[in-house]
Amino acid sequence: MIFPGLILALELTGLRDEELARRLQRRDPDAMKDLYDRFGRIAYSVVLAIVRDASTAEDLVQETFMRVWNRIQAFQPGRGALGPWLLAIARNRAIDHVRSSAARIDRNAFALDVREHPSLFVDMEREVVNTDHARIVRAAIAKLNPNQRKVIELAYYEGLSQTEMAERMSQPLGTIKTWVRTALRILREELGQAVAA
Amino acid sequence: MTCEELSGEYVAWALGVAEDPIRSEIAAHLARECADCGAGVRSALATVTALSGAVTETSPPKHLRGRVVAMVTPEPRRSFVFLPWTVSALLAIALLCVAIATRRSNAAHAGYVAKFAEALAIMNDPVAKDFAFNDAAARGRIFVGPRGVVLIAAHLPKLESNRTFELWIIPAAGNPIPAGTFSSPLCAYRGQTANAAAIAVTVEPEGGSPQPTTTPFIVTEL
Repeated sequence: MIFPGLILALELTGLRDEELARRLQRRDPDAMKDLYDRFGRIAYSVVLAIVRDASTAEDLVQETFMRVWNRIQAFQPGRGALGPWLLAIARNRAIDHVRSSAARIDRNAFALDVREHPSLFVDMEREVVNTDHARIVRAAIAKLNPNQRKVIELAYYEGLSQTEMAERMSQPLGTIKTWVRTALRILREELGQAVAA
Repeated sequence: MTCEELSGEYVAWALGVAEDPIRSEIAAHLARECADCGAGVRSALATVTALSGAVTETSPPKHLRGRVVAMVTPEPRRSFVFLPWTVSALLAIALLCVAIATRRSNAAHAGYVAKFAEALAIMNDPVAKDFAFNDAAARGRIFVGPRGVVLIAAHLPKLESNRTFELWIIPAAGNPIPAGTFSSPLCAYRGQTANAAAIAVTVEPEGGSPQPTTTPFIVTEL
């Protein structure tokens, strides 16, 4: 069931994001305040959940907002989803941090993370911080079995590759791949309505 | 690999768990603006972003807002400062160069002057862009024009005697391009910047390296 109020709220969110992105592109420092007020709490929560250290989380959140500021010119205000983009940057910063420096070099820390390119965050659901959304996500995760949930947690919170998960969980790589694939399929099915454009 | 072969891996890629060759294949498809992979990856990123909704929310410390905003808020101009920041910085560097050069050989003096002139030419290009950076290890500005890059940095880390800073042009795809070594607060690189997606600085063995051997301590995306 779709509520007219919800549609209106999402449209307003889109309009607010669009205007905010345009102000950031005009290098308006006050826009940074508004950006932080909108996404600072969720960004900090995501980073803290990964790095588990408040001081490090502060540094990484600061870096996240600076990255958004530096790359905002490539963002499409009318189509881009500011919140999902910012959260992707925040998570990637945190994951980079928890991995060892050697692993970061192995993964080519120099390469700009393709997953953060603003063009990939267009025509996407913008709302990522409301309680309804959180409830839907938690319900989706609750549908996973313990192994499926574990691999998603290892990927989301620790950034482990499937090979690393196999080592950590002492399981064959093929088994891990099956768990990851099945877990992701279930999540996509469960979250389908929540994340669709 | 074909888009069809990759289609089952988009979410794993977005989540960061995909490995080569899948990871690099998807990146390659995106680099050539593959519409199918673009749409699939966007949908996958939406799923991954949605997972943030499961994180328990924690209030950040109140001072963090001030830290974030301060990064982009210009410092109030002091009464005795009447020149633009960049001109002041360059003037200081020029004076430093001259002061140092007068104690060295004519060849060294000529080198400093040439470096300074090169930096000015790049910065004065009307289409040159100006980027501030404020990393943990250093802060300063980077000017990127069609003819090259100028980096002016403060608070650079102390170098060991057999090490040097090296500037890198990071293209949107492909390996970093070495853009010169330096040990002073000024580095000017004359060369193509058309495909540059970021500028980075590493510490390298004296003489520089063909490819970076350490993690960059400055990375400024353009």
